[in-house]
Order: sequence, then structure tokens, then C-alpha cells
Amino acid sequence: MEAVDKMEKIKKERKDIIASFSKKKPVDTYIDKEVRNMRDLYHTVITDIYEETKDVKTFTLMADKDSSTPHLAPFKAGQYITIHVTIDSMPVTRAYSLSSAPAFANKDIYKITIKRVENGLVSNYMLDQVKVGDKMVVSKPAGEFGYSFIRDEDNVIAIAGGSGITPFMSLANAILDGVYNCNLTVFYSVKTYEDIIFKKEIEEINKKNKNVKFVITLTREEKDGYLHGHFNKEMLESYIKEFNTVLMCGPKELYKAMNEILNDFNIPRKSVHYENFFVQYEPEEKIEYKLKVVMKDKTQEITCNNDETLLVAMERASIKAPSLCRVGECGYCRSILLSGKVKMIGAALKKAEAENDYIHPCVSFPDSDIVLKLDI
Amino acid sequence: MNYDYIVVGAGMGGLGAALNLAFNNKKVLVLEKNSLPGGVVTTFKRGRFEFDVALYDLMDYGNDEHVGSLQRLFNKYNLGVEVKPIPYNIRIKSIDDNFDEVIKGEIDDWILRLEELYRGSMSTFRSLLPVLKEIHEALMALKKGRKNLEKDFPNFIKYLDYNAIDALVDLNIPSKTINVLGYLWMEIGSPLKKLNFIDFAECLYKYIFKRPVGLANKNIDLALKMVNRLEELGGKIYYRSLVVEIRDNNDKKEVVLSDGTIYKAKEVICDLSERYVLKNLIKKDYPEAQAKENARTLSMNGLVVYLGLNKSYQDLRLYNYRYYQFQNLNSVTNIKSMKKLSHHTIEAIVPNIINENASPKNTTILVLKTLYLNDAWNGVNKDNYYQIKETLANELIEEFEQAFNIDIKEYIEEIDIATPFTFARYTNSINGCMFGAMRLGYDNSIHRLLSYEDERILHLSFVGGSSLLGSGVDNAFYSGYYITEKLLNERGED
Repeated sequence: MEAVDKMEKIKKERKDIIASFSKKKPVDTYIDKEVRNMRDLYHTVITDIYEETKDVKTFTLMADKDSSTPHLAPFKAGQYITIHVTIDSMPVTRAYSLSSAPAFANKDIYKITIKRVENGLVSNYMLDQVKVGDKMVVSKPAGEFGYSFIRDEDNVIAIAGGSGITPFMSLANAILDGVYNCNLTVFYSVKTYEDIIFKKEIEEINKKNKNVKFVITLTREEKDGYLHGHFNKEMLESYIKEFNTVLMCGPKELYKAMNEILNDFNIPRKSVHYENFFVQYEPEEKIEYKLKVVMKDKTQEITCNNDETLLVAMERASIKAPSLCRVGECGYCRSILLSGKVKMIGAALKKAEAENDYIHPCVSFPDSDIVLKLDI
Repeated sequence: MNYDYIVVGAGMGGLGAALNLAFNNKKVLVLEKNSLPGGVVTTFKRGRFEFDVALYDLMDYGNDEHVGSLQRLFNKYNLGVEVKPIPYNIRIKSIDDNFDEVIKGEIDDWILRLEELYRGSMSTFRSLLPVLKEIHEALMALKKGRKNLEKDFPNFIKYLDYNAIDALVDLNIPSKTINVLGYLWMEIGSPLKKLNFIDFAECLYKYIFKRPVGLANKNIDLALKMVNRLEELGGKIYYRSLVVEIRDNNDKKEVVLSDGTIYKAKEVICDLSERYVLKNLIKKDYPEAQAKENARTLSMNGLVVYLGLNKSYQDLRLYNYRYYQFQNLNSVTNIKSMKKLSHHTIEAIVPNIINENASPKNTTILVLKTLYLNDAWNGVNKDNYYQIKETLANELIEEFEQAFNIDIKEYIEEIDIATPFTFARYTNSINGCMFGAMRLGYDNSIHRLLSYEDERILHLSFVGGSSLLGSGVDNAFYSGYYITEKLLNERGED
């Protein structure tokens, strides 16, 4: 057959096959449909507010059935969501670990537990202003912290300081629901008896279960039935087995103190995991810098103090800068530093990002006037 | 906001298109929904590890002697990409065939070994090589628009309507040798009985003559280099720009973002599957194009497990760069097993073998992949998603350990698992497919190429791994070049 004829024949064959199929719009596959429902943001309604202690409240959020997101995304114990609130016309966000059982997400419920932070903008707003029935936009669940039955050992030691208990309440419930088949001991350090979050739940779990146990120490109070003082080697010793996984959530000082203790037990680096809690930076001298934000089709000039992150400065100026983890980890806020210098605290930058002037504004403090490229 | 060209999606195809347009002084805007470029050619960080998502073997790059088209384009744009050679170092096992071989050394060593295994391999394999070369050259000529191919390329014409198996049989390759060669189909994702021989030959040609190379740096470095060059050439890229609609307005195309912003251009080039664009972005009906998409078969999607191990690859005894375990070497038989979630064809890669900088000292990255066909994931919903994903990943790891007698589990420091949902969400690929529409029967790359002009939509083009040339970074990037060259030539003639 002539080459041209052969090519024409092949083309005709293709044309005929295509012509025998429906000319209607192609339809979604099952996965396409599911993925359509996965969003970056979900609309919720606050259905319950429970006072855990005098400065801690648990908020129950339910999917807003009348919104474009009538269902919530699933999550893994240890993950967080970021709430979006507007305070004094400033759009701000905060990330909170989910404290509810993952199974609740199947009923479109998330719970977050928030502790009042002295002078904290969002925590005070949440504890004092927000009421049942209020609507709230939250991010998809995110974060890598938690238990992995593939990676981790069967004996899990969790170490929590203060409100760092929240992801472990979710993990404890996941284990009780049969999601994971492991032993969990939560070492929970609080100042006084009155500061214990989830007191009732913890008592019930300790009474009923063998594989999940909470050991509480009061650092500033002595009370029957509770340990006293900071955790030490003796307190942990009887819970350490041959192979252990350690999960920690709390302030940096706690990690430091616990690492010294864990060294004595020869627990390898790969078996210890931390949740990034918050970013602290105190400049020696307070300086106000200029921050120019180059957005897609406009530019805005604002000020930024060197004791606040670029993200906070943008929020203060009502710029809707993207944010998710707010501890430099997830990269959701990544932007390009066109000029200036920043002090970046603990940003998980990829090598090529660092080489190409990418920064994570959520953990970047200005060290000069700044020009930032942020595509919004 | 008016542009000559708008490119939707900053994957390899989109960046390939944008670079060529900017290189030719066109006003081009790339709209990318994520906050970094590259599509699946990207990198994510877990602890002290940086994992590459998809790109390990860069095909059609070649070396100094055999310059591949990808290298030629990278040089043309002066991208300054550093690469490392990838030696043959592959272990292949097949359960049904009781087959376990390591391909190592040079191509000649491998051919000798094949001859030992299956007599007749050597002579026939040698006679196959010039045929591959001829087909490659014919394809180049075809892409350049040459018409009378029969004179110089009789084998190209002869095998134009052969599937890979029939052609290899016709070329007297022993059937068992064909099966062994077939591991390459995992790079294309179509069973050999339905894969056109021209497509297969081109892949094999690139594999043998223009040995794949690995990147000296991470995936995201390549994508960022492309973007930097694009911007130097005057092109523009906007991140966090999710396109929700493409529509006509008089003689312009309007591209609408999720926040309502509209950008206009004469031409729109989508680095997205045609099916996604017709289904999700365009309200108007394009009956012929829609029928074409409805006629297509979706390729496999997959589960990828990224492991950061806290020992060197020597300590772990992970001596091979790639590992494969098939149920059956016959791709047609093997592919049938992919309809169930419970069964895994294993593909593993150890980037540290070719690049000591792949992970920190005394650590190793191991990436395990398995493929699924059609609707294998349809029973997975939000209630069981994490459980199924972790169970499958665990099975895959254990099967790998068992197949190659290597302990992995106790050394896992970091783990991440990507499912079809992950890929679909990040790249908008249909069904989370890794190879776009399957290249089979009437819809191989060669067929798409021959019918390209007849099937075009006015002022709307498609590039990338789901388009004309099929999947793979070489094909995706080259498609961006190829399509824009056509567009530029037409505009030039106006």
C-alpha cells in the first residue's frame, strides 16, 4: 500500500471510531467527583462551646449544610485546621490541632480546643466573642504530625505540655475507635489541677482502657493521685519498652527537657516526632520597616514591625495573604522576597526555594525594608 | 489585561510552550493554580528529606554524543540544567515466570545475557536497532512536516499499523525476550498488544541510544529554572491562579480565574487534559472533541509511597537503581491484575544510586509505586480513605521487602503516601491518571500526530503529558515546543 494511502486509512479508522461515541460532554469519574468536593476552605457552624477550664474552651464545628461545602474532609489524628476570622475588619487565621476523634469528621464534625493566650488576638476573640450559631470558615485538615502504623512502633509515648494535649485527645480516641492498634501513654504536664483540659474524658479513658493511658503531672501544685513537678526519668521509666515512638506537642522548653531524658533511654532520632507549636522571636530593638507587597495586578505599601511577621503585618493591613500552618512548615504562604532582608525562624524551605529567594512570610520577621511578591 | 498567549498550567508542557513563545518575543502569561511551578515535576519536604514527586529518569536528553531533543531545547533556552548519567542497573522479577534478573553494565552485556537466557535474542536484537533508528528519524521528519516518507523510511510505513508484540514477532525477537523488554511499558502505561509499535520503538530508541539521565538537583529546581528563564525572556507567571472558565468574546479568548479576574488572549494553550478542559472549563459544546474524549481509555492511576530511610543504601543492601516485580511479564496478563486494590505490581526507585545528594549522608530515599486500572478506587470514600491508603502502602512495602529480601520497615524515618486523589487534586489529572489517556489501538501518539490538524479546536491548544505525544517529561516539554512552533508558523503566515 502507498504510504499516503496507509496514513489516510489510519486517520479514517480513528475518525470512524471516534464518530461512534457520544458527542456529549465527558462526565466525571468517581475520583473526579470526590476531588471536586475537596476544598481548601470549608464553611462551618459552631454548634457547641464547652468550657474545659477557666481559660480553655472546646468548639464544636459542623459543616454548614446550606453552604457550598455541606461535608467536611476526613483527617488523621494529629492534624490541624486553620480558622479564618475577621477581627476589627482584619482577616486573620490561626491553626489549631483537631481534638476530636477522626471518626467525627465522617459526621461532618470537627472539634478544636483553644486556650486563652495573654494579649492573644484570636484566642481572646474566640473565647469571649464567639457564640453558638456563629459561622466560621476553616481550612482543610493539614499537617504531618501524628501516628503512622507503618513508620512507628507499637508503644507510643506522647508528651504534652498545656494545650499541647489536643492532638493526643484525637489520637487517643482514634485508638479507642480501633483506627490504630497500638499502646498510647500520654504524659501530660500542666501547672495546676484546675488547668487540666479534658479532665472528665481522661478519667473515663483511664478507668476503662488498658491500651490508652494518661499520666498527669502538676508542676505547680501537689495533689493526691497526680504526679508533682516536671517529668523526669523515673516517672517515664516503667512505660518505656524495647521499641518506642515518641510524639511531642508543647512549648520548645518541654522538647529540650524531654530530649535530655529520652537520650538516657537510647531512643533513636527517627522515633521522635515533634509538632511545631509556635514561633517566638524577640528583636533587641523595635524598628518599623516598610513592606511593599507586589500582588498580581496591584501593589500595596504598608508598615511592618520587626517583632511581627510579614504575614501579621499584611493581615493588619487587611491584605488577604494566604496562610495555613503559621509555623513555616507547610509552604502555603510561600512568597518571593524581591528585595530586603528577613529573619526566618524555622521555615521548612526546599533547597531550590531558598536559592530562588522564596520565603515563608508566616515565620519571616523584617530586618530591613521589604519588597515581597505575593500572587493573590 | 491582554496577552498574545495565555498558558493554563505551569507543568512541563505549559512551561515548554511558554518558554518557546517568550523566546520568540510573544507576550505570554502562565496561570498556575499552585504556589510553585512544575506540576508533578515538584518536590516536597518531610523532616530532613526532600522527595521528588515524579521525575527520576529524564528521557530523550542524551549525552554529548547523542544529543536528545530535550537537551537541545534546554540548551536553546540556556536553562543550565545539571544532569547525571543513569547506568543500566535494574532488577526485574516476575512471579509467574519465575524470572529474576539484574540488567547491569552496558547494553551489550544485557544483550549477551538475553542470548544466554533465550537463544536468538542477540542477532535479532541487533537487527532491531537500525529499525528503531529508522522509525525515530521518520518521526522527526513527520513532525517537521515532510510528506514522502515511504522512500527513506519503509519500515516506518510498514509498521505504522502494527502493535508492539506483532511487530517484534515479525522482527523475529524471541517471545520471552519480548516479554522482558516489556518492562518498559511501565513508562508508557499501555499493554504491548495494544501499544502501537511506532510508539514503543520510539520509547525503546530513546532508552537505548539516548540513555536517560537524572537531575543533579531536585525536581523543583528544574521547574524554577524554567520559570526564571521565562521571566528573563519577558514572560509572566501568576501562581495561585485557578482557572475556572475559558470562553470566547468576539475574536478573543477570555480566561476566568476563581476570584473573577479575567485575562484575555488570542490563543489559549492548556497544560491540562483536553477532557478536563471540555468537562470543567468550557461551557460551549465541541461535539467532535467531546466524542474523541468519550472514546478514549483512561490510563492507570497509582499509589506512590515515599520513604526516607535512616541508613545508607549500602547498609540497606539497596544496590539497584530500579526494582520491578510483576505478576506476569506479559503486560496484557499483568495489567489485568491491576483492577484490584489488593494486588501490586511493584516499581521501586533508589535515587541515591545515581545521585549521592539525593538525601542526607547515611540516609536513603526509596520510592515505591504501584498502578491501578479503571475504577479500582471506587469503593474508597472519606470514611475509609486513610485506612485504605495506609493499608495499601503497608502491603506494598512488605511485598517489596519479601520480593527482594531487603528489610525496610525498621529504617523508616519519614513516610508519605500519594494516591490517585492526591494527583487529581494537585494537577487536575482525570481520575488521578498518571499517563493521561492510554496510548492504545487507534489512539497512540502516532495516530494523534497524524490526525492533529483535523482535530484541532480554533485558538485552543493542548500540551503536556495528556496531550499529543503522551506522558513523560520529554514528551510533555516537547509537546509545548511542538505545538507553539506550529502556532507561531501559522501566525507568521497570516
